[in-house]
Amino acid sequence: MALLELKNVSLIYHSHDGETEAVSDVSLEVGEGEFVAIVGPSGCGKTTLLGMIAGLIPPSGGEVLVKGKPVSEARNMTSLMPQRDQLFEWRSVFRNVTLGPEIKRNKDKEICAYADELLSKYGLSEFRKKRPSELSGGMRQRAALIRTLVTRPELLLLDEPFSALDFQTRLTVCDDVESIIRKENKTAVLVTHDISEAISMSDKVVVLSARPATVKKVYDITLDKNIPPLKRREQKSFPVYFRSIWKDMEAPHE
Amino acid sequence: MSEEHKQYLKKQKIRKIVIRIIQIGILILLFGLWELSAYLEWADPFITSSPSRVVKSIANLYTSGQLFTHLGATLWETVISFLLSTVLGTAIAVILWWSETARRVLEPYLIVLNSLPKVALGPLIIIWVGAGRSAIVTMALMICLIITVISALTGFMSVDEEKIQLMRSMGANKFQILIKLILPANIPNILSILKINVGLSWVGTIMGEYLVSREGIGYLLVYGSQVFKLDLVMASTLMLCVLATAMYLVVALIEKLISRFY
Repeated sequence: MALLELKNVSLIYHSHDGETEAVSDVSLEVGEGEFVAIVGPSGCGKTTLLGMIAGLIPPSGGEVLVKGKPVSEARNMTSLMPQRDQLFEWRSVFRNVTLGPEIKRNKDKEICAYADELLSKYGLSEFRKKRPSELSGGMRQRAALIRTLVTRPELLLLDEPFSALDFQTRLTVCDDVESIIRKENKTAVLVTHDISEAISMSDKVVVLSARPATVKKVYDITLDKNIPPLKRREQKSFPVYFRSIWKDMEAPHE
Repeated sequence: MSEEHKQYLKKQKIRKIVIRIIQIGILILLFGLWELSAYLEWADPFITSSPSRVVKSIANLYTSGQLFTHLGATLWETVISFLLSTVLGTAIAVILWWSETARRVLEPYLIVLNSLPKVALGPLIIIWVGAGRSAIVTMALMICLIITVISALTGFMSVDEEKIQLMRSMGANKFQILIKLILPANIPNILSILKINVGLSWVGTIMGEYLVSREGIGYLLVYGSQVFKLDLVMASTLMLCVLATAMYLVVALIEKLISRFY
């Protein structure tokens, strides 16, 4: 059984000027341990789709199932990493990464120990008591990822998590995040408008059409997963994927 | 430390001292000119008073035992209205943040109340709450409250939507979002509202004392001008300057202390 299943999901926005169809009949499956990237032209409703998977937006039609259960009952199984790190400046790094358990009221010794383990594993233990402003951009992103991992989610949802970083940091953080997710053996859905990022990080790329978003094509990425994403960009089939996906996104909307 | 850096630090220090000297110099110069002009009768000291007359006037108030009654009354009214307006204003802003319906319903009322010069309500306040201290506090409250509500609410509403979404994705309820995100994110904003409210509550209190009072600095100002005791008016004005500044400094100190832990 797939870990995440989207069955004919659609979403219609209602506003004063009428209704807009943002997502139309999207069906998708993500297997356990898979890293899936969703790409599409800007404004196509990628983030909306992720919002529905996170259970933040109820779909107008269709079903979102996590481990066979409707997402509204599976809140504890997903964890969201937002576009900007959104670390709370008034909290220490440790209190930031344990925000999730604190809200779920299960911040016990075991969880705190796990948070500390992740912090030291990914080189942040000496910043445990520091404020986020004392961290570099890459370290902030790592802290944000640890915050997503602390609740031991089945499914990570990454909403363009690198878009606020400068290009150089972006490439290194990309490697960083990818390796952490693979090491922790997590299933992840990444939404991005960056085609190279999608190809280099994921097992599967889902291309969405312009609004209303539908699944236009799904690519199985056969690059070597044992080397870091930055290196994967040098592999032979990388530009082939790139050109093909680029064409899909460029093609006028029928 | 390099020689260059030492030089730099020394320069900065000298600059700081020079500025302080000029500041004090201006003060001495102003008071000196004021005293001199009265002494040489360039200006009529009956109209302009003079520093020595002001000091005498304050001494008189002190020996007659009235000084602290007046200062105490005004200070009490100001502090009460400052605290009340900050607490009430923030609480109302929380309610408006919580309920979009309440916010939208009350928006035009807030705009009208904010545009209205609150002094105009003076006569009504006197009739409704009586000509006493409560009228003065009400006046000051009117002046501070609406602006507190509006600025606090603006701060609450401008918290990054993505942060709220993040909390919601963790399963946070509205109360948790308020306590763990909206309020802590707004501590700097609320601190700056405190500073504005210090000034406004003084305006409100003095305004209130103009309308109704038997004691207080506002009372002294009105009384002094009616009986043409300009020494008393000047003395009251100067005492007001000192008190208002002192209260501002206290709030600024509190802000500094809080932002260290924040």
